[in-house]
Amino acid sequence: MLLVPCPNCGPRNWSDLRYGGESHARPDPATATPLQWRGYLYLRDNPAGWLRENWYCRSGCRRWFTVERNTATNEFRDPPMPGDKRGAKA
Amino acid sequence: MAESPAFESPVVKRYKAATGALTLSDASAATKWLVRGPEAGAVADRLGASFGSSCAAEGGALVLGSRPGEWIVVGVPGAVAETVAGIDGPEQSDFVTALDWTHGRALFRVTGADAPRMLEKVCSLDWSDAMTPDGAVTSASVAKVTCDIARNDVDAKPSYLIFCDRSFGQYLFDALIDAGDEFGLSVAPADP
Amino acid sequence: MTMSRLGTARPTEVVDRSSKVRFRWNGKRFSGFEGDTIASALAAAGEHVFSRSMKYHRPRGILTADYWDPNLMVQVGDDPNVRAGHRLLEAGMDVRAQNVWPSLHRDIKALNGLVGRFLTAGFYYKTFMRPAWLWPTYERVLATFAPGGRIDPDTPHRYHDKRYTHPDVVVAGAGPAGIEAALAASAAGARVLLVEHEHAVGGHLRYSSSASARAALAELRAALDASDVEVLTDSTVTGRYEDNWLAIVQRSHPIAVERLIKARAKMLVVAPGLIERPYVFAGNDRPGVITSGAARRLINLWGVRPGERAVVFAANSAGDAAAADLDRVGVEVAAVIDGRDHRRVSAAQGSPKAVEAVLAGGSRIEADLLVVAAGWTAPTSLLNMAGDRPVYDPAAARFFASDPPGNVLVAGGLAGDGSLDELRAHAAATGRLAAQRAAAVAHRLQARTARARPAEGAEPAWAPDERTPLDRDPHPELYRSDTHGMVDFSEDVGSKDLVAAAREGYDSVELAKRYTTATMGPSQGKLETVNTVAAIAEARGETIAEVGTTVWRPPFAPITLGALAGRVFEPVRVSSIQPWHEANGVTTILAGQWVRPDHYGDPAAEVRNVRTNVGLIDVTPLGKLDLRGPDIPKLLNLLYTNKWSKLAVGKVRYGMMCAEDGVVLDDGVTGRLGPDHYLMTTTSSGAGAIWEWVENWLQTERPDWKVHVTPVTTAYVSINVAGPKARELVGRVSEGVDVSPEAFAYMEVRTATVAGVDGCFMWRIGFTGELSFEIHAPAGHGLHVWEALMAAGKDLGVGPFGLEAQRIMRLEKGHFIVGQDTDGLTLGPSTGLSPLIKLDKDDFAGKPELAWATERRLPVIVAIQPDDAGVVPAEASQIVRGETNEILGRITSSRLSPTLGRSICLGQVEPELAAGGTKLTVLLTSGERISATVMDHHAHFDPAGERLRG
Repeated sequence: MLLVPCPNCGPRNWSDLRYGGESHARPDPATATPLQWRGYLYLRDNPAGWLRENWYCRSGCRRWFTVERNTATNEFRDPPMPGDKRGAKA
Repeated sequence: MAESPAFESPVVKRYKAATGALTLSDASAATKWLVRGPEAGAVADRLGASFGSSCAAEGGALVLGSRPGEWIVVGVPGAVAETVAGIDGPEQSDFVTALDWTHGRALFRVTGADAPRMLEKVCSLDWSDAMTPDGAVTSASVAKVTCDIARNDVDAKPSYLIFCDRSFGQYLFDALIDAGDEFGLSVAPADP
Repeated sequence: MTMSRLGTARPTEVVDRSSKVRFRWNGKRFSGFEGDTIASALAAAGEHVFSRSMKYHRPRGILTADYWDPNLMVQVGDDPNVRAGHRLLEAGMDVRAQNVWPSLHRDIKALNGLVGRFLTAGFYYKTFMRPAWLWPTYERVLATFAPGGRIDPDTPHRYHDKRYTHPDVVVAGAGPAGIEAALAASAAGARVLLVEHEHAVGGHLRYSSSASARAALAELRAALDASDVEVLTDSTVTGRYEDNWLAIVQRSHPIAVERLIKARAKMLVVAPGLIERPYVFAGNDRPGVITSGAARRLINLWGVRPGERAVVFAANSAGDAAAADLDRVGVEVAAVIDGRDHRRVSAAQGSPKAVEAVLAGGSRIEADLLVVAAGWTAPTSLLNMAGDRPVYDPAAARFFASDPPGNVLVAGGLAGDGSLDELRAHAAATGRLAAQRAAAVAHRLQARTARARPAEGAEPAWAPDERTPLDRDPHPELYRSDTHGMVDFSEDVGSKDLVAAAREGYDSVELAKRYTTATMGPSQGKLETVNTVAAIAEARGETIAEVGTTVWRPPFAPITLGALAGRVFEPVRVSSIQPWHEANGVTTILAGQWVRPDHYGDPAAEVRNVRTNVGLIDVTPLGKLDLRGPDIPKLLNLLYTNKWSKLAVGKVRYGMMCAEDGVVLDDGVTGRLGPDHYLMTTTSSGAGAIWEWVENWLQTERPDWKVHVTPVTTAYVSINVAGPKARELVGRVSEGVDVSPEAFAYMEVRTATVAGVDGCFMWRIGFTGELSFEIHAPAGHGLHVWEALMAAGKDLGVGPFGLEAQRIMRLEKGHFIVGQDTDGLTLGPSTGLSPLIKLDKDDFAGKPELAWATERRLPVIVAIQPDDAGVVPAEASQIVRGETNEILGRITSSRLSPTLGRSICLGQVEPELAAGGTKLTVLLTSGERISATVMDHHAHFDPAGERLRG
């Protein structure tokens, strides 16, 4: 089970957290076109590689935070756990 | 009308009280307050416990740094009142709130050398001395119920305070008894 | 072959010959010794057939005599698929052969062997594909042919257990290398968990006849006993997942049938040793053809002579050791066929109890035992699970790790070959490296975790791997002889089937596996993977390295469903009043995690009592959020669709929340208790989700707003006092509040002392449609307040009512329930509450979608009454156009109203059907169509709301 680096609680099992998905800004509702708004609702970049994403530390500090994760290797940019990911730097 | 009636514990089943090397007790009647404010500032200085740690307040209440910018103050009514008196008053320049959470949270205490091994059966956290030393405060799922947990050793024996939603109280108490069974857990009389 | 117990005990023996254990085998009495496995006891008693093969029902005997033996699956009592090569004998065991009919020795399905040519690869796929309508028949017939034991539905529930652990180093495998690695890591200060699959540590040293091996084992055991290493035997690391999350199954535990250990290891050392591989030739699955390991285990662990006259096919030193052991215990070794000299066994033939070895070239040797040492399978499972892709080395004839992640190290035979001392030295270096790296991981964990003891000093550097690599001994590549034979003993797949599959185009290893089911049986590749790959490589004219191997996936060894389930954690919530409910005839209903009163015997009577007198319902699960701070109106304006800036202290307002896609999310009332203090209520089922939703807005979108949110759902018991006499009752028990209609109007909130309990508050709302006061009392006095209300209202006819009565009354009033009358597509305007959607507000959740929705034709929630007052359409009945099946809507709620004496409904319909008086056709689940009428108002009862405002 993946360890997710909560900035407050430290690395926690991902099942202790709620995945918030790709981090993206909410468009200004006063000016957003249907295309922009539905992009915000439904469209995701879903890259095979580095992704800024949100997590909610549901069983721990109950804080939302944003981290960068490589979706191909599951490596977190900072702070990674040393030694776990093949090809990743310790 | 009559004075306030007695406090009803969420643990309503009756257990034969005993003492032993590993004990579980119900301390739900303790007074508990929740204080919120900036993570650093006058309130944080006054309460003295940073996130993840705990300390004893002057009047005898226990202050837990339960979340960044959140503190649980627990103890007998007078001691807690002394610690939180005026803490959210209008003279505070920071945005601070405090509320009495006594009725919202059940509180149990597990004490004994085998307490860490017992917790390993119901919680995925590392209970070693290095990761969870005496004084540590954290939140985690215990038997699938989110709890605030504080290590608060008694007579040099590992001891843990476990807070959960009051409505889960009876369920969690029974789950802890089940987890402690292989270590000979006994239910001690309720903490005052 | 005739197996028997040796007259004198072997020095390595694990059986206690002074302790006899009686058991039954296929109904007959047998006995063995303490320490025997089921298989060793049966072998010592001369049994030679243990099972029938899956498809052809060929007789099968001992092959490997250990956990992985595919021929030794038996039923023990109500426990199917027990591995008799591993399970220790217990007194009174009732052991039976599986997959045999009518008996092990006279198996009628062995006729399958005669028609075997029809059962080739893909037989089932090809034969039973069509016609599709015959499949149920096929299935019934095939099920009787399916292998495996019997499942007993009456088996009592047994206690399984689960625990977590966080060791520095987990060592998988306690052979000499594993023990040495564990000792070295422990000596370097690491907390070590050593996991051994077998019943005792020692690996192959346990069944080695050499004095030096015995001395080494004694030394390792003594060192282990003196160390802090935690040792688990009869336990297996069955899976390795991200960040060294390990699943360990502990099969024998004092308090549980099986225990699943979830270990978060800082370092994993993989040292499972090697598994001996069968050789493929005609008759290689006959009883009497066994591996060299089987021969040595039978002789040295259990004192069983495996035969009278043996032929040994030896391609390595294990074969030589087996020949020596056989000779040592008086088995005549008729010939040693040396595979290193390019000599080959070609076939095994003979009568049931004899094995005649046919050599390549045609010469024959009479014997009753054929011992085969053809090579090794490297059990790289845990490495595969760590993302490694092991690589085949033809010179050593086995796979090796290629590039596992840095927190996984390999030791022992999986890493290479050498003398025992060389392997131990390598393992010790592995253990030290594991401890060094674990210290770096521990340091980082402590430094990153707020509650942990502060990490001392700088983080230790990630230690480089400076171990001297082990050599690799040359080994002949022996997979198939010049005949075809069995590859997968569990699934009855032969090399011929694999060649046929390759010829039919299933020539990638992953396709051939699925087509033939090779490697998919209980052995899960332990014995047959490399032979499978070799057969396909041969058919394709390629090398094993080119074909590659199937991916080993968890679990490494089987695990019971009970162990996976562990103890059952199903948290339930109860209110403080639960003891009263239970003492008063409640029927409860589980709503989410809450145990709630559904009714107390007669919901219709409960409704009538509320409409006539006064009733109490425990609505504690109602979600409650305490809001404090000056920016609460801003927050409420953002979350709800309506306006909140002017809510006065003491007032309560209803609001609906929509998600950002405009879909109805939740609803409830929020009251203003003080200038900067509000209480928000949510639906009972939405309490947790709405709290997270609010926190998300405050933390990520509006972090500058001064609002603190605290869930207080269970801090208060919530009691709704409803009925014409509610005011009288509430007035009797309350202090500090004037309950007169002039002083305390509908949709207002007051603080009060109720039944002597301070700190209560109450508000007037009307879900049931009656005059009602909802009292929120501190939960630690909740039972007292409820009982006081019951006592004070005796003369008023007070009684409890449950969820069912409340649901009936809310339907009479036409109040929709989020998630019942709405679904994941119901946009805000469909509820009929468009006046509460204030599009002139600057911003609120879902505003753009709700603005665009005004131009769309949306389904509408309407009240519906069937024209036949006695018919209650089932919820989710479709509303259709006339006699067609065109769907125009559906019934979302329906009940028989005790108040009106007729059926009433809410439903969603297309907008053109929403006008009052419209006639609808409802398709009942019976297929019957009934007519129904759309009502003018949502409320079937008291549409003007005079009762609740009274």
